[in-house]
Amino acid sequence: MRKIFVDYTRCVACKGCEIACAVEHHPSRSLADLVGDGRTQVNVRVLAVEHEAFPVSCRHCDPAWCMAACPAGAISRDPVTGAVILDQARCKACGMCAMVCPFDAIAFKVTHASPGGRETAFKCDLCSHRVREGRLPACVEACHSGALAFREHEEVRRDRATRNLREYLLGERALPDTFALYRELRRKEFARRGEPAP
Amino acid sequence: MKVVTVGAGVAAAEFVETLRNEGFRGEIVMISAEGFPPYSPCVMPFFLAGDPLETAYWKGADFYDRLGVTPRLGDPVVEVDDGKVRTASGAVETFDRLLYAPGSKDRYPEPSWLGVHGVFGFKTLSDLTAIDRHIRETGVRRAVIFGGGFIGVDAALALWHRGLQVTVVHRNNRLLSRMTDEEGGKFATRLLAERTGIEVRLETRVTAVNARDGALASVDLTDGTWIETPLLIVATGVTPESGPLTGADQGVAVDEALRFDPRVYAAGDVAVTPHAVDGRPGLYALFPNAVEQARVAARHLVRGEGAYPGSVDANVLRKHVDFPVVSAGRFEGEPLTWQDADRFRRVYLKDGRINGYMLVGDMAAAGYLHRLYLEQTPAEREVSGLLSDTAGTSYYRRAVGLAGR
Repeated sequence: MRKIFVDYTRCVACKGCEIACAVEHHPSRSLADLVGDGRTQVNVRVLAVEHEAFPVSCRHCDPAWCMAACPAGAISRDPVTGAVILDQARCKACGMCAMVCPFDAIAFKVTHASPGGRETAFKCDLCSHRVREGRLPACVEACHSGALAFREHEEVRRDRATRNLREYLLGERALPDTFALYRELRRKEFARRGEPAP
Repeated sequence: MKVVTVGAGVAAAEFVETLRNEGFRGEIVMISAEGFPPYSPCVMPFFLAGDPLETAYWKGADFYDRLGVTPRLGDPVVEVDDGKVRTASGAVETFDRLLYAPGSKDRYPEPSWLGVHGVFGFKTLSDLTAIDRHIRETGVRRAVIFGGGFIGVDAALALWHRGLQVTVVHRNNRLLSRMTDEEGGKFATRLLAERTGIEVRLETRVTAVNARDGALASVDLTDGTWIETPLLIVATGVTPESGPLTGADQGVAVDEALRFDPRVYAAGDVAVTPHAVDGRPGLYALFPNAVEQARVAARHLVRGEGAYPGSVDANVLRKHVDFPVVSAGRFEGEPLTWQDADRFRRVYLKDGRINGYMLVGDMAAAGYLHRLYLEQTPAEREVSGLLSDTAGTSYYRRAVGLAGR
């Protein structure tokens, strides 16, 4: 199955993925309607880890611990895309899934999909509706730095192995100079301020 | 081959579904003391809080039809012997393979109390539908819960959410005493009471129930006081329903394939299984364990192979109010604590590994902690950062190579 792969060294924390995800999962699909809407659902979040930025979302594990733990039958696997799907209509927000998610990729709030104005768990759905139409997940489409890629696992593994070998044998740089410069500046800025990066 | 399940709960339903997924086409009979499709005990309190009953049927209300099962409902099994089960009504069902999974039953301090109209257990959907009817028919506004463990607090929160005035009477010095240590439990008790307005009477027990015209009027407490209430829920503990199989109520000892004997598997709240981390055998009555046990047993039945990796004891109470209490493992070893006004977090370290933990008030980084615990990863350097992590970044600190710095 194809999944979203993260190369955090390329993330410039622009949060374009967050915005694209929020629009994609908003009932109106409109950027303007996100403003001031507390029920907006954002399934990816760009975490600040010191000077690093890490776009976090569900990894659609197989087997998925959350799916085995859900006592409400709210989590299932999409037969076409392989995504782990959380049905908020069935969710009781009991917290079992969040307790076992090794990547802390499940959060709670009242979203537009929550029944009866009650809090529910929510997470990435791999934009399965888009993927079925042959399109990319919204966050991946929005990512212009190459930090997010939607690819087959085996293909990514092979590429990384080849790249690492080239780097080792030929001294080729994996990261373009602009990214290396950006990362260096971020590291310095973080050290200068002595506080977590935004 | 004919397969029979004693019980139609979480373990039995998962077992049957796995059998069908594994290609088993033989006859399946499910026998239950109750009259419902398989339901999720974790979800059913939400029915009492106002959600539709159907949402408790986590595998669908059409379960028996969909999976080609013959249900024998409303007739508890009283004896299992030599390829036959006998029910209370005297019916006999033969089997080639049996899954014994009837769950556990309430342990009442005074069984005679249940004869009083207005006194209920909180263990089965039958209990909850009866409570719901009682509240609707008599306009109950006040409830007393005797027992402040997981089930008692679960009941209290559901009735509080429904708008009742709720008092929890608990013999221990804190609620959720099995899920917490003393300090964490007292913290959780205080904040839960503050957030909800549920009254908590600790180190107190109900000594008597007083009826007027056959209906509950008040309950007497050990401190000499009494509470006027038309509804008492008794949740003072449970006992595994192992009697019909073993003749005792200590649970059912099983091998690594969940077998009690060559023809009988046991799973769910009756099964005595080893702990996944420290190996100690026990009754680990939690939803994920029942599911995993049922899957292992069903695959073993079909394929003749497979072993159960052990049970977890990680649990979370997070119902109707954004105030979770998470706990796992043993509260033994070196305690490391982090707290602020709203949160209390403690990890017990043993040989540099997580031996147990407790998170009260929020769940940031709960999943990563769970993983470090289950995998017994050396975590000494990481733990203090993890405890004060309010943004859920701990796993990612490790992923980008900043952990423990």
